[in-house]
Amino acid sequence: MGEKKKVLLAPFDPVHDIGLKMIRRGLEEAGHETYLLPPDLPAEEIVQAIMDKEVDMVLISRTLGYGVAELLSRFADLVDAAGLRDKVTLGIGGMAIRPELAAELGFDAGFGPGTTVEEAVAFVEGREYKKDDAGVKKEKQDITSGYSYKFVNERLGEKLERVVDLIEQWVKDKTSPGVRRAVAREELWDVDRWRNREGNPEFDKEYPQLCGEQPKNFYLKGELHPKTRRFTREEVRALEEFLEETKQRIVLNKVQHTRERPVVFNQYGTGCPFMDIGHIKVSEAWGADGVVHFDPSWGARTEGFFDGFLTHQEDGTVITPANLNRIHAALEPSTLWQVRAHRGLNTPETVVLAGKIGADMTKINISYGSLSAGTDPERLTVDGYYAMRYAAKYNMPFDVVTNEELAGVPAHKAFAGMLIVATLGIRLGGRPILQPLFAYSPEAMIGEQMEDNYVDFNAAKIYALKSIIDAPIWPGAPIGFLTQTEDRVQSSMTTGLHACLAASLGVDAISIASSDEAYSGGPIAVPSRTDTLQAVQEGFRFFGSTGISPSDNARKWGEEMVVQIERVVDDVIKMGDFVQALYEGVLGTREEGAYPGRTGRGTVETSVD
Amino acid sequence: MSKLLDYVMDALDVETFLICDTEEEGRTLVLELMKEMGFSDIDVINLDFQGVGARVRVRAYIHRSGDEYGWLQLDGEANANG
Repeated sequence: MGEKKKVLLAPFDPVHDIGLKMIRRGLEEAGHETYLLPPDLPAEEIVQAIMDKEVDMVLISRTLGYGVAELLSRFADLVDAAGLRDKVTLGIGGMAIRPELAAELGFDAGFGPGTTVEEAVAFVEGREYKKDDAGVKKEKQDITSGYSYKFVNERLGEKLERVVDLIEQWVKDKTSPGVRRAVAREELWDVDRWRNREGNPEFDKEYPQLCGEQPKNFYLKGELHPKTRRFTREEVRALEEFLEETKQRIVLNKVQHTRERPVVFNQYGTGCPFMDIGHIKVSEAWGADGVVHFDPSWGARTEGFFDGFLTHQEDGTVITPANLNRIHAALEPSTLWQVRAHRGLNTPETVVLAGKIGADMTKINISYGSLSAGTDPERLTVDGYYAMRYAAKYNMPFDVVTNEELAGVPAHKAFAGMLIVATLGIRLGGRPILQPLFAYSPEAMIGEQMEDNYVDFNAAKIYALKSIIDAPIWPGAPIGFLTQTEDRVQSSMTTGLHACLAASLGVDAISIASSDEAYSGGPIAVPSRTDTLQAVQEGFRFFGSTGISPSDNARKWGEEMVVQIERVVDDVIKMGDFVQALYEGVLGTREEGAYPGRTGRGTVETSVD
Repeated sequence: MSKLLDYVMDALDVETFLICDTEEEGRTLVLELMKEMGFSDIDVINLDFQGVGARVRVRAYIHRSGDEYGWLQLDGEANANG
């Protein structure tokens, strides 16, 4: 410690002096001598105390209100008139105080909301305060750690294993263009050579032949997808500069308060990797622990990837090696990065590419991708199977999403599909994460399980899954789906409350939307991301380690759900063919909104090796 | 010299309460207000009319995805006149 200081603390306020009391404790712990005056003394008495105690510094606290600026200005003038101004340093803190206002009022420094005790102590000691010192040290978390992946409900577990036997049997002699591209990307594409611009000639020769028309034209004729353009060199240079400066300044926030979990994910996919990077840096600074890459919907229907550093003027950011590589390089070391692979014709290759570039996680679900995302069930079963093998190889846990619920598929059918895929993933050496929806789903709208509250039916899902298997759970995606409106306060509030429910139920992660979730007239604006992150943080602060108590309905519905899930799995076993079960509506009927996809139909081939 | 709007990452939202007789009037008024302020790429995000008037949030996109972003080309102190 440097020189010991004498500090007078004066609450220039009728009641509020708690901030000064906290600062006093910090100063005393740092070895300084302090004098705390009672609240609301007249300015003259404070000036008298400065003279009597012969202090070096005065810290005043005051919440600004009508006429207070004049009061504070007069106090500074009195100090001046008493001949003390050169002898004491004056600091002022309070809710509406800003440094520029403090200077205007005649003080040496001003401290607004969010000022820490450390900051005040640094001021007293004449040290420069580095905000980084107070920043949160975050580390990348593995949300699958500590789980055994053993079935709690052994009978259902055995049945799920039987379905997985059927899938393995069905897949073993099959391949697809998607699998063959994944093999090429795996075996012929060296990421280090690519990063060093040394080229991968064998890959460059073979890959275009495995692609559909548009990517093929890109490689052979240099034609870009019509909705994309390349960045200019100037733009790239400007981005690098922006990023370098931002990384130096960024201070990370933690939203969980006293909890470790749930890890909070934000989804991005503005269409432009530059804008994505802007959104990601804001998300990180406001407390997101992970980010999820969204690609455009046409990407799921296109055989093969483009290459190059490309921007896209519609929703979803194009997956190319260069785009992923740039986004990866922009992330803070603690940020979890998920690249979705779950629904389209590039599922296994996405996993390989994401794994080579450095993604931490991916997303795969055969049932959802087949029934609600437009990909042919046969094709996605083959592709999903190999995608999971690659996910295991690249050590990437993957969530198994159940968004078919949004189309109207009941939770128990979506869960049966999720559990079958998760069991397959475990068999293949992977670490699946269960992703139930926290949503006002059509099933709940019709069945009125959410007529009174959003708590019980969501809780029932978690109870059901926890009674089946010891595996990580990551509600999404995003939580509160279909409860949000275009009002940003409402939207943030409902997201925050769903986050608190998730935390209370002890889940491992959540995906949150922005407060623009329900707005469909244009792109998500970045302040809408800070809205919901702040709402979640405030919710976590409010509940801390306490929780929400669901009613008895939650347990009852959860138990019913398990029975229904088992019936669906029984039906798949009875059919003797998982793929056929997808086509024929066992895991969701057309009436329930599940339409087996057509993209990639007829492309599954019998493997020659 | 950079313009102040170059510093906006993507969009500028304006939130206010308008005294008006109907929801439609509120919508018309707020869009006119934004045009009067010089914005063209505008949209009403939400408008809640409850008889007294309209609680409204309206947005002007300054940089859409794929545009050239002013915040990547800041070249010095901005001034109010651009």
